[in-house]
Amino acid sequence: MNESLITLDNLSIGYNGQPVLSGLTLSISRASFTAILGANGSGKSTLLKTLLGLLPPVAGRIDTASAGAPLTFGYVPQSNQFDPVYLLTGFDVALMGVYGRIRSGGLIPVVERAFARECLHAVGAEDFSHKRFAELSGGQKQRVLIARALTTRPDVLVLDEPTAGVDREATTAVLEFISQIRKERKITVLLVTHDFSTVRHYAEKVIWLHEGKVFHGAVDELLTAERIAEIFEIGMG
Amino acid sequence: METLQQILSFDFLLRNSLYTSVLVGFACPLVGVFLVMRRLVFMGVALPQISSTGVAIALSLPLWLGFKLTEHGSHSVHALAFVGSITFSLTAILVLAFLERRGRGQPEGRLGTAYVVAAAMSILLLSKNPYGEIGWLDMLKGEVITISNFDLVLTAATLTLVLAVLGLFHKELLLVSFDREMAIILRKNVVFWDVLLYLLIGLTVSMAVLSVGPLIAFGFLLIPALTAHQYARNMRQFTVLASLIGGATAFFGFWIAYRWDLPVGPTDVVLLGLLYTIGWLFAKILPGGLWHAHKT
Repeated sequence: MNESLITLDNLSIGYNGQPVLSGLTLSISRASFTAILGANGSGKSTLLKTLLGLLPPVAGRIDTASAGAPLTFGYVPQSNQFDPVYLLTGFDVALMGVYGRIRSGGLIPVVERAFARECLHAVGAEDFSHKRFAELSGGQKQRVLIARALTTRPDVLVLDEPTAGVDREATTAVLEFISQIRKERKITVLLVTHDFSTVRHYAEKVIWLHEGKVFHGAVDELLTAERIAEIFEIGMG
Repeated sequence: METLQQILSFDFLLRNSLYTSVLVGFACPLVGVFLVMRRLVFMGVALPQISSTGVAIALSLPLWLGFKLTEHGSHSVHALAFVGSITFSLTAILVLAFLERRGRGQPEGRLGTAYVVAAAMSILLLSKNPYGEIGWLDMLKGEVITISNFDLVLTAATLTLVLAVLGLFHKELLLVSFDREMAIILRKNVVFWDVLLYLLIGLTVSMAVLSVGPLIAFGFLLIPALTAHQYARNMRQFTVLASLIGGATAFFGFWIAYRWDLPVGPTDVVLLGLLYTIGWLFAKILPGGLWHAHKT
């Protein structure tokens, strides 16, 4: 359970060589549920994009404990970032997750299509998967995007504020499902959020980015009233 | 009906023009769909014009260098025009797409300026070119009349290549267009797929401009895709419907133009505009009608 899957070694992250956060040294355990917590502009998205390989590190290293093949990330972006001009159904979107296993120009095998349907069924999105993705509600889109992330057969499930723009009921359903699927499939979960209650309820570990500083630890140690007050004081001072 | 029989007969004098128009009508919307989805409609306007400037410069080169073109419509002239068209199209689309991705400045301003300067340059260059006076200005205005067998074969071969590549790599091109981040995470070479898509767009635009002129090229690139978008429920319907609208409009536009002695290009484009307007009215003015019920 405590085997380290991802290790950040003195990592600096940022854009165009300009660091936003520096000196990140921590590890993320296999099959753990880690929340990346922070206010808007704290560097959460930058850290996420660097972990996913969308941004190169400014300095330092990211080591992964995968045997041979690089880690597979199942990424769940915010559901409101997609252009509605694309006439894709929920199934079309979920199916994109299998593209990483298919050679360029190759046809999608029947078995992969069936797997995409299975993932949609698992997240409770089967009933609306034939509808246009752009016309789905925020919660329904999130389920389809989680299904897409699962079709990649991920080692790590990465969720970028999955509850943004989603009502409370749908938020709870989505997070409960992620907790359940993590236990069933032994997937490592990284959840980006600014919501303390979500972190307390679902995560085991937290990486808290605050005023250019990084705090890392177990949720029940880091999110106590005293520790929170201390961190805010450090930020202000 | 008599004119319809005439243009469908194998010995119809302008059959190459008809076949080329229909080919362009079918093929242009297939890349136009990507221009619409990537919100590059302005590029669809500017590219054909820039491509035609390439034609004008290529045709002016021999004049500037003191060579004499022997025969209007010859293969060498056509090859020269093709080189000019494709060089300008590809350079323009790669530069404009690169600037667009960097996100600096005003993309609409750049494209608008490129369009108007390219249009002016084409007219200026060809008005001073004796060969331009004869036929190329007509081509730039959308007069599809003199298309040789060689032109037809070249158009068909190029558009077949574009169709084959689009069909083969549709899922990769769609993924990179829809969700670039996901494509990177799945370890797809997004720069390669972007460049391939731009090459296909550039090649189609060049071929279309050379065969039927910038006016029809622009019309067929965008209007069928915009019209089809109002009706289609999924990507397959969107692509097939756009292509069918383009091909059918090219055919009926030619028929109407031949029947009433009108220029083909403007006839095609007006017909496309009418279809788009009717589609828009159908979708917007009758929100509670049968069509809306069917869509939802």
